Amino acid sequence: MKTIARVLLILTLGAAPAWAVLGEYESSVSLDRESMRGEDRVISAQGYKLHQITSPTGAVVTEYVSPEGKVFGVSWRAPVIPNLEQLLGSYITPVRQAAQAQTRRRGGPFIVRASDLVFVSGGHMRGFRGSAYVPSLLPKNVSAEVVR
Amino acid sequence: MRLQRHSVVPLARLLAVLGGLIFVASCGSSSSSTNTTPPPPTTNNSVDLAVNLGPTGDYVNGLFVSVEVCEPGSTTNCTTVPNVLVDTGQSGLRLLSGAVSGLSLPAVTDSSGNDVQECIGFISLAYIWGPVVQADIHLSGETASSASIHIISETPQYPVPSSCIPTGPVGTPEDYNTVSALGANGFLGVENFAQDCGSSCAAASNGIPQYFSCPSGNCQITSVPATATKGQVWNPVALFPQDSNGVLISLPQVAAGGAATSAGSLIFGIATQSNNALGSAQIYAVDDQAFFTTTYNGTQYSGFVDSGSNAYYFLDSGTLGGLDCAAPNTGWYCPAATDSFTVTNTGTNGTSGSVTFTIENADSLFLNTSFAAFNDLGGDSGNSPSTDFFDFGVPFFYNRNVFVGIGGQTVTGVTNAPNGFWAY
Repeated sequence: MKTIARVLLILTLGAAPAWAVLGEYESSVSLDRESMRGEDRVISAQGYKLHQITSPTGAVVTEYVSPEGKVFGVSWRAPVIPNLEQLLGSYITPVRQAAQAQTRRRGGPFIVRASDLVFVSGGHMRGFRGSAYVPSLLPKNVSAEVVR
Repeated sequence: MRLQRHSVVPLARLLAVLGGLIFVASCGSSSSSTNTTPPPPTTNNSVDLAVNLGPTGDYVNGLFVSVEVCEPGSTTNCTTVPNVLVDTGQSGLRLLSGAVSGLSLPAVTDSSGNDVQECIGFISLAYIWGPVVQADIHLSGETASSASIHIISETPQYPVPSSCIPTGPVGTPEDYNTVSALGANGFLGVENFAQDCGSSCAAASNGIPQYFSCPSGNCQITSVPATATKGQVWNPVALFPQDSNGVLISLPQVAAGGAATSAGSLIFGIATQSNNALGSAQIYAVDDQAFFTTTYNGTQYSGFVDSGSNAYYFLDSGTLGGLDCAAPNTGWYCPAATDSFTVTNTGTNGTSGSVTFTIENADSLFLNTSFAAFNDLGGDSGNSPSTDFFDFGVPFFYNRNVFVGIGGQTVTGVTNAPNGFWAY
């Protein structure tokens, strides 16, 4: 079992552009920690755990991990929007598509409800807030409301 | 240097009362000192604000001003750029390259002598990208001399770095470096921050993907100090020799159902002249990321005021019992009848006060495509209470005097607001 997981991890990391995290295995979190030059604090919660990465510049990125070891959600509170391609991995595609479909909304928050992704991003320069989660990866008995 | 200015405030106010711009050479000091230096002449500190559909003819609730920029030190090599969006959600002057193409503006360089480039990523994945240059900025009688400003390159010299949020190359929908995408000729950012990045960008080792330099064409994050000149892009107001502690945005009421246009004033300084007194406005201090707290139905949310947001963006359709409009106006609110909301804003200084606003059906409002001003336009801010917040956009500004206090500056009568404040 462990071996399979490891093989899968290597395959995934090999195939994706280095930084994929949402929907990937927990080990990919360390790549975010490195890129943020941050401290990683692991916190256990009922039915899941989270990695809270705090950078010296005041950015906080939280990654929510299921008992199966997959990242089912990410959130951020940061002076600069984190690198979403890195954080969302392949889930960046529906976000990109939705960005092109906005009507008359200007300068406000950006919300995407795709088939298997909920993405929210808002705030202002030097104060950004956002999150994303994959409904199908939510652990049993864990509400999406924990991703905040 | 700001403290010195602070000490002349009562005189400036007195002068203004005595007759605005008239020379009051013989005005005696009201204090007991006998040899005070002559008071400075009262500066014209107000520019016209216009709400209209903007240069692309489809901008709803955009606040536009004209900005004059000159080559540093020149009074003749200047150009006036119209339709610049006033944005209290960012700091700095950013202009499309085409709007200043007649000027020769010197580059800001990093410590290695390489030209500094800047990338600003927007929430919607869009970005603007181009060089940081120096210019004199003139707004009414106010001048920011040799200010660092951001040029939004319509034809970029270097490809945008991939580290600047997910970006598509030139010509993709994420490329906002055109008037048609921006809906404006640029931004006049007058947020609570004096600089657009601060200490984080002063050291490239922090890895903030905002300031770059491109020796041999390969753009890398570079260190740019937060200094007033030859450094980061500043909120121009913070660079004025006077009236530098913030702005006042004043707009009249808009009728229910909207209006074709609206007009008001962007006034520089807070409690520095007769036209920018705080009066009965309450001070809501913000945290280090410029948020206060908004409470609705007993739940606390992050709140902020943003003239760069063109509506009240708050809560979400599910929480509000299905207020979402049908396509294509998904994300806007479409109540069957006018809906009223009351929330409480609380500053970090403990000030608390309620705000009531109304939301009308966006489908109905948008039927009149010649209207640009709506005081009752709303849309969602998140997907559920855990991700929702309150973004008080342009509708909040109608029928109000809204003050934006810049962090680190002194304002007479304001305490406990080290990161700046909102007052209304």
